[in-house]
Amino acid sequence: METRVGRDVPAPQPAGRVARGFRLTPVLMVLPAVVVLLAITVFPLVSTLRLTVMSWELTTGFPPQFVGLQNFARAFFHDPRFWNAMMNTGVLVVVGVGLQTLIGMGLALELHQLGRLRTFVLSLLLIPVMIAPVIAGFQFRMIYNDQFGPLNYLLDQFTGGRFHGYAWLADPRVALGAVIFTDVWQWTPFMTLVVLAGLQAIPAELLEAAEVDGATGPQTLWRVMLPLLLPVIVIGVLVRFMDTFKLFDIVYQLTAGGPGNVTETIAYYTYLEGFKFFSLGYTSALAFIQLVVITVVAQVFLRYQKRVRAGMAT
Amino acid sequence: MRRRPPGRRLLTSVILIAALAVFLFPVAWMFLTSFKSNPEFFAYPPVFIPKSFALTNYVDAMRFPPDGRGGIQGVRDSLIISVGSMVASVVVGVPAAYSFARFRTGGENLSFWVLSTRMFPPVASALPLFLVFKVLHLLDTHWALILANTIFNLPFVIWLLKGFFEDLPVELEEAAVIDGTTIFGAFRRIALPLVGPGLVVTALFSFIFTWNEFMFALLFTRRDVRTLTIIVPSLVGGHEILWGQVAAVGVVAIIPNVLLALLLQRFLVRGLTLGAVKG
Repeated sequence: METRVGRDVPAPQPAGRVARGFRLTPVLMVLPAVVVLLAITVFPLVSTLRLTVMSWELTTGFPPQFVGLQNFARAFFHDPRFWNAMMNTGVLVVVGVGLQTLIGMGLALELHQLGRLRTFVLSLLLIPVMIAPVIAGFQFRMIYNDQFGPLNYLLDQFTGGRFHGYAWLADPRVALGAVIFTDVWQWTPFMTLVVLAGLQAIPAELLEAAEVDGATGPQTLWRVMLPLLLPVIVIGVLVRFMDTFKLFDIVYQLTAGGPGNVTETIAYYTYLEGFKFFSLGYTSALAFIQLVVITVVAQVFLRYQKRVRAGMAT
Repeated sequence: MRRRPPGRRLLTSVILIAALAVFLFPVAWMFLTSFKSNPEFFAYPPVFIPKSFALTNYVDAMRFPPDGRGGIQGVRDSLIISVGSMVASVVVGVPAAYSFARFRTGGENLSFWVLSTRMFPPVASALPLFLVFKVLHLLDTHWALILANTIFNLPFVIWLLKGFFEDLPVELEEAAVIDGTTIFGAFRRIALPLVGPGLVVTALFSFIFTWNEFMFALLFTRRDVRTLTIIVPSLVGGHEILWGQVAAVGVVAIIPNVLLALLLQRFLVRGLTLGAVKG
């Protein structure tokens, strides 16, 4: 399969054109960064792994105790709250990233039709992407406000006051939806940006050829554009998957996991276990489980990126 | 491109205007709220445009009690930490990026391993880092956050800069080496000046990531250091919420972000996908 992403991507420089044979300088230039990264990945990994087999409850004051794989057994078999958090995170990832992708694509296709205004409109759309998630959470705290928020006011206008005083974040049936909406608000423009970059890389001749051959608009979209866009969409979805899986800031600011724990994500639950309940061993086990999930997805992302880059070089 | 009927073009305009309204409304609402007095916030129907655009809330928010440092401390601490980690990650990252781009040092595997560290979930490293910072007495100092953020930004800086170096023609450096310059000399005198714009873009991204960072700031600080991302939620938690003032802090907190969204637009897709998609 030949895929092309981005416009002016150079072929990778053949190795060793500047340096013939072994040189020390390139190694020395990499060394500080590699040492730093080793220190922060290997060290937490080892210390986390060591703690996963311990029971260490700071609240009880007992010294750490070896418990084998009990922390993992607790998470998988005895802790409904862990599965609840995983489920919430799963819903966030599937629904949230799904919506971001669909709406983002739609907006990108519309934006692509725009002439000179395109850059300007895109810049404005990208403001949500750039601001801190905590601040985004704060903005939606005000918008969802049951008494004085603009959302209920606007809905009141169409429903004759039915929404007055309705507390979105306190209703267990919709609280997770409110969190998802905030995340979708923040990251849809990111998908628009990614898809737009892919659209701009499609050679105009291809679309003209499709038109000459008598393809209708939807046919061109499905048969010509979508296959060419797929690589960038996959990259965008994977990036969003990894970020959404770690979602913490918005939950902290909007709902603190509540009401009950219907909006508790796995990152938020891990934070509670570690820094509110002080179960260090169990926290490490939870962290390790997330590490495994992220590592698997990250590997897919990296392989895919390698393939896309290799495809471009030809 | 085929000519589009006017009806279709109108639809495009309607959709995009609606999208702009939805995506900018929350930001605009925070901006408007930052000028509202408390009675204006607690009004129904809600006040959309405040009566006066006086900066009272901003002035009050910058020095609210108990210690009178309030928002100004947030600005100071966020700046120190973001600039500190930006400088540190660029200084360590640039040579590594060059070495990866030009010499494939360590092969593809090493550079991909570097990228993979970027995906480490922060909550997984928070506990070990917390314990280390505690032992070193770095909790509640700028150093803890500069270190933690540098660590997380380094893979990003390396990977993005690697792409920018690869975009440069290699011939100039080859000529310099043939003329007797050392590899480091070719890097410092030829590649580094040429990669300047890419360096600025990378540094600004690194700045924004730290500026936006929340979890480390929450866990590693208490009183002496309080970033803007900490101050805003802490003010929303209390009993009497001074929404106008919190919104003012929020507006101050997103100034660099909005500026960069407008300035860096061309590079955003590259930065946000870790160089996977080049716009």
